[in-house]
Amino acid sequence: MFDHIFGKYLVQAGKLTQDSLEEVIKYESSVRVKLGTIAVAEKLMTDKQAEEVNQLQAVMDKRFGDIAVEKGYLTDDQVGQLLKKQGNAYMIFVQTLIDHNIMTMDEVEASLKDYQETQGFTESDMRDLMSGDIERIVRLFLPANTELHDRLCGVAIRTLIRLINSSAYVSKAFLTDRIDADNFAMQAMKGDHAIVSGFAGCGNSLLAIANPFAEEEFDTVDLDALDAVGEFTNCINGLFASELSKENVDEDMLPPEFYDHPVSISGKQFCVFPIHIDCNVINFIMTIDSELTVQ
Amino acid sequence: MAKVLIVDDSRTSRKILRGILEENGHEVVDEAVDGQDGVKKFQALKPDVVTMDITMPVLDGMEALKMIKALSADTKVIMVTAAGQKGKMIDCIKLGADEFLTKPFDKEEIISVINKLS
Repeated sequence: MFDHIFGKYLVQAGKLTQDSLEEVIKYESSVRVKLGTIAVAEKLMTDKQAEEVNQLQAVMDKRFGDIAVEKGYLTDDQVGQLLKKQGNAYMIFVQTLIDHNIMTMDEVEASLKDYQETQGFTESDMRDLMSGDIERIVRLFLPANTELHDRLCGVAIRTLIRLINSSAYVSKAFLTDRIDADNFAMQAMKGDHAIVSGFAGCGNSLLAIANPFAEEEFDTVDLDALDAVGEFTNCINGLFASELSKENVDEDMLPPEFYDHPVSISGKQFCVFPIHIDCNVINFIMTIDSELTVQ
Repeated sequence: MAKVLIVDDSRTSRKILRGILEENGHEVVDEAVDGQDGVKKFQALKPDVVTMDITMPVLDGMEALKMIKALSADTKVIMVTAAGQKGKMIDCIKLGADEFLTKPFDKEEIISVINKLS
C-alpha cells in the first residue's frame, strides 16, 4: 500500500509525473528487487557500499549477500531478513523507479525524508509504512481513537484489498460532526457496542466497490449498486463481529440501509477514512457507541 | 439436481447464488426478498432446498425457518450467514437448520453443501 501512498506524494511534490507513476505501477509486477536496494532503504548499507558490492558482483561469481557479509557490511541474519523483503510492494516500487531511470536511490531517499518530515512520521512509523503490513500502516492514518475503531478500520481495509482492489490505499482519516455525500450504504450492529459503518461516495465513486463485488458493470450508483456496497459492508462487519465474538463481545448485524440521493451524515466526532481506489475517493464512515443521523 | 428457492434481501447475494447454482445444474425455482415472501413462495413452489439469509427486514431468516419447518419438516433449509453470527447459528440448529453458508460466498462450499443435501 505504501508504494501507492509514496507514489502519490512524489507526484504532488513534483518529483514524478502522473504518467511516470502509472508506468512504474504497470511495470512493478515484472520487477525483481535487488538486495542492495533493500539494504540501502533499510539503512543497513550506504548507497556507496551497495554500489561497491554491485561492482564486485559483476566480476565475481558470488551473490550480493555473500559479498556484503565478506566485506563486513551485513551479517548472515541481516541478509536473511532482506531476502524476505524482496516481495515487499514498496521495495518493488523503488526498484522500478531505479530500473527505469526515473529516480536514483539517493533521490528516493531524499524524497522519503521529505515525506517523513511533511507527515510528521517517526522512524518507527516509517518502518511500519514500509513493512507492507496493512494493520500497521492503517493505524498511522487514523486519528487518536479507541482500539475498537482501529481494529474495525483494519478489517475494512484488509477485506477491501482482498475482495475489491489490491491497489487500494488510504489517506489520513479525520473526526467530524458532519459530512455530505451523494450516496451512502451503511449497516448498523447492535449488542455490546452500537456500531455503524458504511461507505459514502460522490458521483459514481462507489461503483469502484459495487462493480467488482457484484461482478457487474453498473453505470450509476443506483439501489442495485448500493445493495452490492451494503453486502460488502455486511462482509466486513461479519468478520469484525467474528473477531469480537472470540473475546465474548456480542454483536448482531441489522439489514444494510441505502441512500441513492445526496445525504448529510451527522453525529458526534465520527471517523471518516478516505480510501483511494483507482481514481476514486470513497469515505469509510464509522462510529462506535455514538449515534449517526442520515438526512 | 435440486430445485432451490433463494431467500435473501440482497439482490447481489441472490444473483451470485443463482449464478453458482445454475452453473452447476441446479434449478432456481424463484427468489424471495424477505422471510415473509420466502414462506409464501415456499408454499406455492415446494422446492427441495431453501437457502435462507438470516438478517432480513419484515420477517428474518430464523422466523421464516421456523415457519417452513413447521409446514414441511423434511425440506432442507440452508441458512446463509455473515461471519460472526455464531450465536444465531446455534439458535438456527435448534430450529432445524440443515446446513450453513457464510458470506462472502465460496463457490466450492456452496456446491458441496447443496450436493450433500440433494
